[in-house]
Amino acid sequence: MANLTLQHLDKIYDNKVQAVYDFNLDVKDGELIVFVGPSGCGKSTTLRMVAGLEDITNGKLLLDGKDITRTPAKDRDMAMVFQNYALYGHMTIYENMAFSLTLRKEDPNVIHKKVLAAAEILNLTTQLNKKPAQLSGGQRQRVAMGRAIVRTPKVFLFDEPLSNLDAKLRGSTRREILLLHKRLKATMLYVTHDQTEALTLADRIVCMSMGHVQQIGTPLELYDHPANLFVASFIGLPPMNFFDVKVELGKLAGKGFEIPLDAHDMKRVQKYVGKEIVLGVRPEDFVEGGDIKISVLSNENLGMNTLVNGHIVSEGNKFDRITCKFRGWCNYKNGDVAGISVKRMHFFDKETTNAINEEK
Amino acid sequence: MNEQQISLDRMRYIKNKASSNLAILAILFDVLYFVNLYKSDVGSYYYTILIGASIIYNLVFLLAAFLASEGVKTYNESYSYLLIVIGVIQFIRIFIMPVPAHNSYIEVINSTTKEMESIQVMKSSQFIRQIIYLCASGICCLVSAYIGIVRSRKLKAYEATLGEEKRRD
Repeated sequence: MANLTLQHLDKIYDNKVQAVYDFNLDVKDGELIVFVGPSGCGKSTTLRMVAGLEDITNGKLLLDGKDITRTPAKDRDMAMVFQNYALYGHMTIYENMAFSLTLRKEDPNVIHKKVLAAAEILNLTTQLNKKPAQLSGGQRQRVAMGRAIVRTPKVFLFDEPLSNLDAKLRGSTRREILLLHKRLKATMLYVTHDQTEALTLADRIVCMSMGHVQQIGTPLELYDHPANLFVASFIGLPPMNFFDVKVELGKLAGKGFEIPLDAHDMKRVQKYVGKEIVLGVRPEDFVEGGDIKISVLSNENLGMNTLVNGHIVSEGNKFDRITCKFRGWCNYKNGDVAGISVKRMHFFDKETTNAINEEK
Repeated sequence: MNEQQISLDRMRYIKNKASSNLAILAILFDVLYFVNLYKSDVGSYYYTILIGASIIYNLVFLLAAFLASEGVKTYNESYSYLLIVIGVIQFIRIFIMPVPAHNSYIEVINSTTKEMESIQVMKSSQFIRQIIYLCASGICCLVSAYIGIVRSRKLKAYEATLGEEKRRD
């Protein structure tokens, strides 16, 4: 059992730079939490504070109710997997995986059983006598994971473990991590800047920016109901399209287009009538055919879908850039004018950048 | 898998460090031996072909013992036999340099009295040290070889059973 609680964590460095502001999170036993955000948003710093590699300036860290804020890293019963693997080059894979247990002076036969079990899980049995230099990047990362597994820690910490791998290997290793989590049912914190990794792996995502938590929720919550403009722009690939629009009675008026609002949407933006808001539309929420005209710049066929980039046009004038993701195979040429309509919209307050939700 | 089998299985992944370290220790004792011998300054007693041969053999010993230490590390039985050979030679060496030197006396001029005097080439204290170093080096080689042979045979037998199991599967 490992319930981890982060209460009002702050990180202020000696040079007075604050990297993390008031971080609060309750991680349930067996949950896989992914910290996602752009470089420098404080996600790795938070993870390192949890691991004990960085001091916590303010706040409390509780593991199963026990305060471990000032506990040294080695006594926290957590195992960390780093981006650069951090394997010992002169040791074999077996020795690398056994090393932490050897340092703890565990019985060699017990160590052997644990190492073989971990190697079996990670499909590394045939590699145990090799040196790290003889393995591929993905295999090395699996060794790093194996080294964490043999310790049977309460919490696994992953700091961008897939960033050094090529795209194909990243996909397969990601699936292995997911299977590993299902098999071990362990509490895991995972840091990444890749929103695809976050969406595919996480039970819950913590989206961060500039040291602040922007939103905590399931992947679907973050995708379907982003809390603000930052989350909306960060989650989803290709990113959401944003337009400045004016709310009028029964419709939204943007540059070069108008979108009628149904009763439900009108209710959401009722108090903004006469004001400007930000309209967000995911590329996949556009459908072919409609009153909004776009001048096509590029047509990228991806097999199941087609990405169409262009400009909104009206009466010969070009307005905002737009990216649409249509189902199936399209054959637009540069300069073609296509009609589109909107299936689903997200509204954001222009001043606060927060999402505009239905008032309860 | 019982405890004994686990210990055997471990050998597939763990190097034979005991044998390897003993071979290195044998090198260390040999170094102590030749440093202790070559620092001797007793007239022209040592200026013979024997000292040249001793230097060359020391180099050969260092190389052979080091190669053997690496070989036994990976349970290669043939390197254990090499260790037996060089280990036995270490004992024989006692009778090539230290014993004759201990039994020999040479005439030298005393630097203070300026008179000729007879001195023992290798005094008892140095002789005992030399014997200890060579014996220790030889013992290390032989023990290393013994452990190496026992372990490599055990591992071979265990791997043969694994092969049989695989064939049965």
